[in-house]
Amino acid sequence: MTLLALGCLLQQEAGRLLDFSPTTTKFLILSSILFIIGVGGVLARRNIIVIFMSIELILNAVNINFIAFARHWQAVGRLGEHTGELFAIFVITVAAAEAAVGLGIVVSLYRNRETVAVDEIDLLKW
Amino acid sequence: MLKYLFLVPLLPLLGAAVNGLLGRRLRFGETTVKLVACGATGLSCLIALGAIWDYAAHHSPGAYVDQGFAYTWISGGGEYAVRWAYQMDPLAAVMTFVVTFVGFLIHVFATGYMQGEAGYYRFFAYLNLFMFMMLVLVLGSNFPMMFVGWEGVGLCSYLLIGYYFERDEAGDASKKAFITNRVGDMGFMLGMFGVFALFGTLDFAPLKEIFERGGAAAYVEAFGQWGVMSWIAFGLFVGAVGKSAQIPLFVWLPDAMAGPTPVSALIHAATMVTAGVYMVTRVNYIFQAAPSVMFVVAVAGAATAIFAATIAFTQNDIKKVLAYSTVSQLGFMFLACGVGAFTAGIFHVFTHAFFKAQLFLGSGSVIHGMHHEQDMRRMGGLKKYLPITHWTMCAAWLAICGIVPFAGFFSKDEILWKTYSVSAFPNYAGKVLFVVGLLTAACTAFYMTRLMALTFWTPERFGEGGHADAAHDAHGFRGHRGEEARAQAAHDHEGAEHGHGGALRPHESPPSMTVPLVVLGVLSVIGGWVGIPHALGGHNYFEEWLRPVIVEMGGAHGEAGAHATGETAVELGLMALSVLVAVAAILLARLIYLRRPEIAEKAARAFGGLPYRLSLHKYYVDEFYNRVFPVGATLGLSRVLMRVDARGVDGLPNGSAFLAQQLSRASDWFDRYVVDMLVNLQGWVVRGGSVVLRSVQTGLVQNYALLMILGLLSFFIVLLFAGR
Amino acid sequence: MILHGAEAWFFWALALLALVGGLFTVLSRSAVHSAIWLMTTLISTAGLFLVMRAEFVMGVQILVYVGGVMVLFLFVIMLVNVSEERLDRARLFSRQWLLAVVFAGLLAVIFSYVIRLADPYSSLQPARAGAAAEAAPAYNPQGATPVSRNAEEVGWALYTRAALPFEIASVLLLVAIIGSVLLARTPRQERLAEREEDGA
Repeated sequence: MTLLALGCLLQQEAGRLLDFSPTTTKFLILSSILFIIGVGGVLARRNIIVIFMSIELILNAVNINFIAFARHWQAVGRLGEHTGELFAIFVITVAAAEAAVGLGIVVSLYRNRETVAVDEIDLLKW
Repeated sequence: MLKYLFLVPLLPLLGAAVNGLLGRRLRFGETTVKLVACGATGLSCLIALGAIWDYAAHHSPGAYVDQGFAYTWISGGGEYAVRWAYQMDPLAAVMTFVVTFVGFLIHVFATGYMQGEAGYYRFFAYLNLFMFMMLVLVLGSNFPMMFVGWEGVGLCSYLLIGYYFERDEAGDASKKAFITNRVGDMGFMLGMFGVFALFGTLDFAPLKEIFERGGAAAYVEAFGQWGVMSWIAFGLFVGAVGKSAQIPLFVWLPDAMAGPTPVSALIHAATMVTAGVYMVTRVNYIFQAAPSVMFVVAVAGAATAIFAATIAFTQNDIKKVLAYSTVSQLGFMFLACGVGAFTAGIFHVFTHAFFKAQLFLGSGSVIHGMHHEQDMRRMGGLKKYLPITHWTMCAAWLAICGIVPFAGFFSKDEILWKTYSVSAFPNYAGKVLFVVGLLTAACTAFYMTRLMALTFWTPERFGEGGHADAAHDAHGFRGHRGEEARAQAAHDHEGAEHGHGGALRPHESPPSMTVPLVVLGVLSVIGGWVGIPHALGGHNYFEEWLRPVIVEMGGAHGEAGAHATGETAVELGLMALSVLVAVAAILLARLIYLRRPEIAEKAARAFGGLPYRLSLHKYYVDEFYNRVFPVGATLGLSRVLMRVDARGVDGLPNGSAFLAQQLSRASDWFDRYVVDMLVNLQGWVVRGGSVVLRSVQTGLVQNYALLMILGLLSFFIVLLFAGR
Repeated sequence: MILHGAEAWFFWALALLALVGGLFTVLSRSAVHSAIWLMTTLISTAGLFLVMRAEFVMGVQILVYVGGVMVLFLFVIMLVNVSEERLDRARLFSRQWLLAVVFAGLLAVIFSYVIRLADPYSSLQPARAGAAAEAAPAYNPQGATPVSRNAEEVGWALYTRAALPFEIASVLLLVAIIGSVLLARTPRQERLAEREEDGA
């Protein structure tokens, strides 16, 4: 059903979507698609490394969103406000920290469980 | 003197109190007890005589009720009050004289007879108490007082019969006496209630007045009718039957011989048993108003007389013979009352008191002299050992046989004559009763002669056999055997006065005992002379004296019998007949027991077997009563009640226990299957719920991430659409 | 903002690359391949940043994200590398993949709806269609200066407006360093450390 809805939307927006000159909206769409792909990866893959990479994908999509809006604000006249970029910087920082710690966990996990498949790690099952 | 009438009962009461309450504590010696008891009685007798004299001089013929001493005993809320007041009238005078005088003599006798007994003071205390009760009975001015005395003498009888309380038979006999009395008392009380209900008063003087003035005319019945008055009279008569030992309540009297002989003399011969006759005479108007009951009384009296006489034939215990003789003579008295000859009945009470008391005391003397042997088969030839006893008893013997001019003749003959000529009920009945009475007189003469012969005139038999009782018939001799056993112990007490060697040597009694015997013997001779009938030329003082007591109701009843010449002749003829019959019986007895014992053997073989056994065993009446009443009624009732109790009453707690058990089972079921189920249900719900819910916790992080996304989606949806 | 001309071409190209990269990141069988594709996506994103005249962030992205995080990823992949035959037999997707797709679809719906709400030119905002033209800012689409002053401005903003978050971020990094070192110790290293502790 979602595919159907998607199809309808696409049809509606087909005209504008294929407008060659992208607007902010296009960036948002791009960001959303990347986000959704990332979510799909987090939820569907078995390999924990890939899940982590999907998380990076999500964060990246969000960054695109922030930067797009930074540019948009600049374009609509709110000069001197680089909030979007600042946000993006911090996101990258946190992503780096999180990746470091998370991968440390992955390493430790691998050492203990000999596996990186996420659905084989269910010790906390009821 | 009449105003000291209250002292007459009071003095014996004081004597009883002193002896009874202080006798043990202050350790009265026998002398003290004697003096107190006899003094009280003697003084009472003197005052009574004085009072009677006073009454005769100033107040007769009306009743004198002592108002001075009277006090209200029961205040019936104003409607009717019972006052404790003594009444003196001709009847009371006669009875008081008999009770105090004979009582005094017996007291004196008892001081000698009971010497050395343990509980000397107790005996005399009871004896004095009895005097008090008896005097209340005869001097009472109303029914409640009479009833108090009635019950009181019953109580004293119980106490005195059971004087030797260590002996089983004494205890049994005393209980039997009391219980049998109580059966009769029930009737007495019902009669009393009836009188009160009908007339509203229980005082004798007012009651008599009501009847004299015809106030009770509505209730007077004719012969053959049985209405409320008959019921009342019958109830009162039932009381008399119990107290005076008539059929069917006579069974206590022979057993009462287990008491000491003076007791038998006083209570069961002279005074207590005559209370019934006194009562009937006192309220003669009630009886005269119910002729059907009078008939019953007469028949009962006659039946009792002959019944008891036939039993007395075969008894071997001297006291038992006298006991049955008493029953028989009492039957005579009731026969008299039944045919309307109330004064004759009282006259016989009067004379009977003398000669029966004499006979009992004499037998007591014999028993005492024989060292407590009571079986006549082991007596004999006592004439030379106990002369005074012998001669005085002869006087009494002749009196009881009805030989002229001894006392018993006059009274007995008057009864027989009045029976013969009764007009209250169909005359043929009267004649039948007369024949019965005559036969009884014959039997009386016969067995009394037998008694005298076996005791005094036959050869000595007391050398043979010791005190062993093995051969004795158990029924008649329980009292005797017990008294014998006591005698063994009492021998140690007797000490110097009756010292005896190893062999039995009967001896005469001391003066304390013989003097009363003599006095009574003399009275047995002359006592009847106050009632010599007109037919013999005498002026019947006795009847005259008592006449005011009897209410003349329509003149149809025996008292006012015309003395036509023809009747006189019949009367004389009957008198002669009775004397002849008596003499014949005496001679027959003399023949059998003295001259030719072999006839006795033949007769025994001929009549022996059933008649003898029936007679000896008192017609098995006691056995029958035992079977029916204690065993049958009481035990049966108790068995039924036990079943009721075990099933019904016990069933109640048992049933409730069962019910409680079932209830608890149900409650347990409820608890287990309903309550627990609810509780368990909660657990199961939680468990089931948890089984369902915990499946969320898969342990897989990716699942949790999925749920997070789900939450995120919900959040978005809410955010976007909630505001719309 | 409306991109025109070369910027538009770059956008489309880079966007496409990023999408493809992202897709293959998620769909690759081998982790190393996923990592390479992720790098592609990241670099394309960096290019997009440049298109949006955020040079500094582009620099940071490439240096930190691609140069640091991805290298780290590759090292870890090497450490936990799965052998070839196991890799071939292993399942790729977990059992909840369908639900994942569904949820992702739902997300897509919601996102599209939101974007259409916000988009001044979308059909959801017909009244403002005219305003969009007015909102077109007066700026110089071609007027990019020869030397970008973006880094300087971002730096100023970072140290003034975002000073506190900056410090906190540095503390965070410190914590992350310590934490990751501790987390990834081998048992032997742990025992050594304990012995050192006891001895000291």
